[in-house]
Amino acid sequence: MNKKIRDSILTLLATFILLIWILPLIWSVFVSLKSEIEVMAYPPNIFFEPTLNNFRDAISGSLSIVSELADSLIIATITTTLTLLLSIPAAYSLARLNLVGKKKLGFYVLATQMIPPMGLVIPYYLILGKFGWLDTYHGMIIVYMTFSLPFAIWLMVSFMEDIPREMEEAAFLDKASRVKTLLYIIIPQVKGGIAVTTLFTFMNAWNEFLFAVQLSGNKVRPVTIAMYNFVSVEQTMWAKLCAAALIAMIPVIIIGIIGNNHIVKGLTLGAVKGGGRK
Amino acid sequence: MKQNGKIELRNITKYYGKVKVLDNINLEIKQNEFFAFLGPSGSGKTTTLRILAGLEELDQGKIFFDDLDVTNTSPGSRDIAMVFQSYALYPHMTVYENISFPLKMDGIEKTEISELVKKSATKVKIQHLLERKPGQLSGGQQQRVALARAVVRQPKFFLLDEPLSNLDAKLRLETRVELKNLHKSLNVTTVYVTHDQEEAMTLANRMAVFLKGKIMQVGTPTNIFDNPKTLEVAGFIGNPPMNLIDAEISNKQLIIAGIKIKDYELKETNLKQVVAGIRPTDLNISNEGIPAKLYLTEQLGDSSIMNLIINNKIVKLKTMEKKQYNDGSNMFVKLNPGKIYLFDPKTGLRI
Repeated sequence: MNKKIRDSILTLLATFILLIWILPLIWSVFVSLKSEIEVMAYPPNIFFEPTLNNFRDAISGSLSIVSELADSLIIATITTTLTLLLSIPAAYSLARLNLVGKKKLGFYVLATQMIPPMGLVIPYYLILGKFGWLDTYHGMIIVYMTFSLPFAIWLMVSFMEDIPREMEEAAFLDKASRVKTLLYIIIPQVKGGIAVTTLFTFMNAWNEFLFAVQLSGNKVRPVTIAMYNFVSVEQTMWAKLCAAALIAMIPVIIIGIIGNNHIVKGLTLGAVKGGGRK
Repeated sequence: MKQNGKIELRNITKYYGKVKVLDNINLEIKQNEFFAFLGPSGSGKTTTLRILAGLEELDQGKIFFDDLDVTNTSPGSRDIAMVFQSYALYPHMTVYENISFPLKMDGIEKTEISELVKKSATKVKIQHLLERKPGQLSGGQQQRVALARAVVRQPKFFLLDEPLSNLDAKLRLETRVELKNLHKSLNVTTVYVTHDQEEAMTLANRMAVFLKGKIMQVGTPTNIFDNPKTLEVAGFIGNPPMNLIDAEISNKQLIIAGIKIKDYELKETNLKQVVAGIRPTDLNISNEGIPAKLYLTEQLGDSSIMNLIINNKIVKLKTMEKKQYNDGSNMFVKLNPGKIYLFDPKTGLRI
């Protein structure tokens, strides 16, 4: 009986916390289904005739966010891919090789994370401006990678350090080179880490606003900036804004669902450290 | 089957930081020998094995495989297979993939791989487990997979690092016999690291006793058992090991606890104080001899070990006799005079 009471209290608490997080989302869904006039009604109408016009306007027409969605997709995908390609070998060498100045290098990688992003906006703007990389894909991607790489390297290092060294030594004795060992032995065992890295890097690049607003322009416009299509001096089109925001969430939600599965797998792999060990 | 397989270690010295973990190791292992490194933990036996495998760099010395200097070659080029204490199976691969991995790295064709994997899996009786992952296997099965992965490539040298230590007692005895058989059928030079002297004794053709980073003695198991060269080896080999009792020599007579030992042929020596080593099985309860007090008896089923106090020190006596004595009772002990080993207490060497 005691356990039942405890469980129900915990469930109630969890529901409450979940509601705090999910309420804005529910609110957005409702607003996105109303007409602009209905949104302004006070007191708000609980019963209204739902419409999909806002979604149509967000996808096609003068206010469409489709090209911005594409820009975000390009930036986030390339950032994630490059981050993975660079962070895995970097993490491996930090985790396993006897590099000169390894400790210091590890610290500097982390130190870049300690600078408040706000302090970097202007320097980055000036640097990209000098190179002529403002309002370009590669400019945005390079800036995003300065944030995602340190994070990804540290995360991958911790996953790789969990793999027993003997596993690698066994591979060396089996005539595998370092590169083959990394490909066949290490990477398959850090899938969980790779999933987490992918998820975080993609999400951060996708949701980023502060740098996007400074460094992008008319040619390259991430979707976070596109939300301003619906905000003007005269009025804010709340219904269309909500519809656009919901559309912009979809890729992150999909990646989250796919990644979630792998993250759980990654965690259980860590639970039986080394897997093959008794 | 590949021929040769001679190993030679010359003046191997290894430091971990400032700690000398291996001190001038010299050793020759013959072709097709089953050679054991025996020693307590921290004695340097595993480090020596890892140096053989090329997994550990050395500070001084040279390694020769078949008279070829391999000191600075990579592990993969040494034609070695190793079974780790933890087995080091690849957890994301099936048993089949695990066993085939060294062949795949060797660039062998798929059809041939499949044949070789099946052959070596059959040899260690795991042919029915090929589709499983290591996590779904018992400790004994994992160990067999590790063995199969090691033998599949038909290496020149076979290194085993405490392969039985993670198995339960019964399985350990069974696997021990199979290891011996495996060695016979493979005919490959095998180096076996263990802290269990029974394993070393039963398996090895020859063995090296490691203590504190040094090789104390090399020889056949019986040779080392019967002729320990130093106090340390004497105090380590045997279960329980030899009793080491302080003794005196006066008038060419050996005196232990104030009692002259009859019929003992003393060799020429100038020493007055010596240490007498005697195996627990070479002591007998008697009506006369060295006075002793029974401290405690350990029953082993077929035999018992009596812990006696002689000269304020515990001396172990192993007997098959079923007669029971009360703890604390006084008695006399006779030594088998032909089985007394004398050591110099200062140098630790056999006299």
